[in-house]
Amino acid sequence: MKKVITGNHAVSFGAQCSRVQVISAYPITPQTQIVELLSEFCASGKLAAKFIKVESEHSAMAACVAASAAGARAFTATSAQGLALMHEVLHWAAGARLPIVLADVNRAMGPGWSVWTDQNDSLSQRDTGWLQFYCESNQEVVDTCLISFRVAEQIMMPVMFVLDAFVLSHTSEGVDIPEMALCDQYLPPYKPELKLDLADPRSFGALSNPDHYYEIRYKMQKAHEQALPVIKQAHEEFARVFGRTYGMTESYKCEDAELVLVTTGTITGTARVVIDSERTKGRRVGLLKIRLFRPTPVAELKAALLKVPKVAIIDRNITFGHGGIWTQEIKSALYDEPVRPKIFSYIIGIGGRDVTPADIQEIVDFTLAHDRPPAPIIWRGVRL
Amino acid sequence: MKWLEAEPPKIPVLERESDYPPMAVSLTTSLINRTGSWRIFRPIYDNKLPPCNAECPASERIQGYLDLMEQKRFLEGYQLILETNPFPSITGRVCYHPCEGACNRKEFDEPIGIHNIERFLGDYGLSRAPRPKPAVRRPDQVCIIGSGPAGMTAAWYLALKGYPVTILEAAAQPGGMLRLGIPEYRLSKAVLDKEFRKLKALGVKIKTNTRVGEKVKLDDLRRQFSIILFAHGAHQSRELGVPGQEARGVMSGLEFLAQINLGRRPRIGKRVAVIGGGNTAIDAARSALRLGAEPRILYRRTRAEMPAVADEVEEALREGIPIDFLCAPVRVIKSKGRVSGMELLRMKLGKPDESGRRRPVPVKGSNFRLKLDTVITAIGEQVDLGFLGADVPATGWSVSADRFGRTKLSGIYAAGDCVTGPKTVVEAIGMGRRAALAIDAHVTQQPIEEEKGSGVRGQGSKEIAQYVNINTAYFDHSARKAMPALDLKARRRNFKEVHLGYAQNDAVEESARCFSCGVCDRCDNCYVFCPDMSVLKKDEYYEYDYDFCKGCGVCAKECPRYAITMIEERQAK
Repeated sequence: MKKVITGNHAVSFGAQCSRVQVISAYPITPQTQIVELLSEFCASGKLAAKFIKVESEHSAMAACVAASAAGARAFTATSAQGLALMHEVLHWAAGARLPIVLADVNRAMGPGWSVWTDQNDSLSQRDTGWLQFYCESNQEVVDTCLISFRVAEQIMMPVMFVLDAFVLSHTSEGVDIPEMALCDQYLPPYKPELKLDLADPRSFGALSNPDHYYEIRYKMQKAHEQALPVIKQAHEEFARVFGRTYGMTESYKCEDAELVLVTTGTITGTARVVIDSERTKGRRVGLLKIRLFRPTPVAELKAALLKVPKVAIIDRNITFGHGGIWTQEIKSALYDEPVRPKIFSYIIGIGGRDVTPADIQEIVDFTLAHDRPPAPIIWRGVRL
Repeated sequence: MKWLEAEPPKIPVLERESDYPPMAVSLTTSLINRTGSWRIFRPIYDNKLPPCNAECPASERIQGYLDLMEQKRFLEGYQLILETNPFPSITGRVCYHPCEGACNRKEFDEPIGIHNIERFLGDYGLSRAPRPKPAVRRPDQVCIIGSGPAGMTAAWYLALKGYPVTILEAAAQPGGMLRLGIPEYRLSKAVLDKEFRKLKALGVKIKTNTRVGEKVKLDDLRRQFSIILFAHGAHQSRELGVPGQEARGVMSGLEFLAQINLGRRPRIGKRVAVIGGGNTAIDAARSALRLGAEPRILYRRTRAEMPAVADEVEEALREGIPIDFLCAPVRVIKSKGRVSGMELLRMKLGKPDESGRRRPVPVKGSNFRLKLDTVITAIGEQVDLGFLGADVPATGWSVSADRFGRTKLSGIYAAGDCVTGPKTVVEAIGMGRRAALAIDAHVTQQPIEEEKGSGVRGQGSKEIAQYVNINTAYFDHSARKAMPALDLKARRRNFKEVHLGYAQNDAVEESARCFSCGVCDRCDNCYVFCPDMSVLKKDEYYEYDYDFCKGCGVCAKECPRYAITMIEERQAK
């Protein structure tokens, strides 16, 4: 069924398509519409889920942890300070190997108080053990929700999928909401091997001494490694069932490129326009969109980037004292190769400042005009 | 405790780390971890004494019947009252309800309308409850002198226990002060008559017009009956003790009220002064008003010192009766042997006297006069001790007995105003019941029955649940239901009952305001809050699973009503 809906409502429909059983969320701009629509689904019976109201995001995630431990498919959504408040329980969800799915609407962290987009909220959760997908379009949002649950439940790890505040969350696009029969075919009911069970009460998450804790962490890393083929297979299966799909990374006009832009989220769509116009001008410029942040798709990054001389990474985030986070990740992924591209690291659009085709054009021109990056961080549009 | 009887399961040791589950989870049932052993404090269900119950002179289990009322179990509520007070239709009308003064809810908004609910239940049961029958018959004949609240209460409980009871009543109709002293507009004679029918149905014989010391002699009674209970009240009015008090048109308040109550219409003029600040004064003034007079009350102290029930004073003022405070009579002014006025003296308050109230002191030269047609004196009542045998122990003003009515003489008991001096109906009822318990204990050679506990179930602690113990987060503010009453116009020139009684819905809603202080009312809070699922439902109530209760105390903290106590583990048996 085709509908014109916002990115936020795409999240709600994605959760409905995934037949989530427990939703616990606390409203926060710009995520609020997600839970509004989900609560309506629950109230009207369109979705047979228990909607648990809570007083904070910490409790929202705690309720999801408990629901998931009891064997329910659990879902939540949040943004910025809300995600930060969940931080402790995000660790718990991953350590307890609970396949919870969370939609994060990327919003800049305060202060200064902001409701506009950047990626620091979700990227700050890098080390919690959660998988992370970044979405470009509303269709991708619906579809990624299904993919997230499928992957999460196969490897027993929680998954976060991310969309930009306002640029996606509040922007309407045509979306094909998949038929439930197809969704059910793609995402079977969740049946964990171990769960809270009154008939066989077990202690979950209890004290683990040094004899066991280390191995639990080892197995979490193994789960992330195992996730890469599982994600690949999940995308292939998605194509088979729904007739469209995505990748962990997606190349656009990269053949023969001498410069590849690396983008995430909605900047990708803007950059695509610039790439098209560059190509008509005959410049060999391509684009690599990255969807998967954790686990790092090292092989895909190498395959896409090692063959080009220059890479311009566009970071709508910053790890202070270092620089762009995607830059850091990509450099790390390519480090052990003997020949590596020159990497230009651009920081742009922080706190929701608009990123326009002209901005991207400037990045392209600047990169092509320089043999090597003049500085570890290249700021675009900072006003001083 | 199931697992305790069985061998605890062995925790398996797996060969390789990779065989263990990927998350921290026990390999066997978690029930082997008896977390109750971590406990240093344990919660116990421990009903306390609700302050209303503690305050009731008739030992009514008020919280218990409010609970039954809320559940619309009216007959059970009535019967619960009857365990300690046989006549709730009476107390539901005339009691000064100290329970409401003690009610913790008054700190929150307004006290529960206990008095009005008691009246509802009393009237409900009076016409519907099956007549009880004594289980046994006892040969020991009991004679009760006086059919007021103390006598009729003792008669009820003794008859219930199978004793043949005869009440001797000096007046033409039974009821003592209830009949003679309390006006119809406060206690309808129809209600009183019904209560007496209930008493007679139990086999109690009542001989009216039988004043002991006149037709019958006490010595004869003592030969005839093995048990005698004095319950003849305090019916002698104190005299003013001022010149002119013998004038026509001076009468005692009790005599005035008794005449009206026996269906006569005493002759009074327009200008009536009632001397005194007690309940008799208020009753006399309001009765005089209803006879068409223009009464005023003269009291030598101030409103704060008035012994009358505050509600009654309030009603008198609402009905337009002026009260002159700080004035005392000096003499009655006569004209041809009749009252024509009174000379009074202004008073001021001095140091507190033995009653704790500030003593009125005359203001020199402050004499003033009032023109009056009638003077009604209501400055206190005394006990008639004249007919008592020489050996019956008495002080100068009352019969000597303990709180169970036991005198120093075997087989001789006394209860009510004749022991305490003029007090209240509910105190007389309480003492009448205690005397019945003492008499039965004496005859059966058993110890006196324990006073009942707090709640509807079992014995409670003697600790009184205070307002600070109530978790008020669980209660919404709500207004007390007003008692419907006749408007002022409708009270003119008649003795119709002023208060009309709660409608059933109002009574139920009002009872639902009760905090149930200190007594579990099955609210499920402990059950819901327990993080260890160690609160188990047991019949209607709960019990702890101490194998797993860690003693965190959340249940006690979140109990809205202090029915759970945390005790040190080492104190637990």
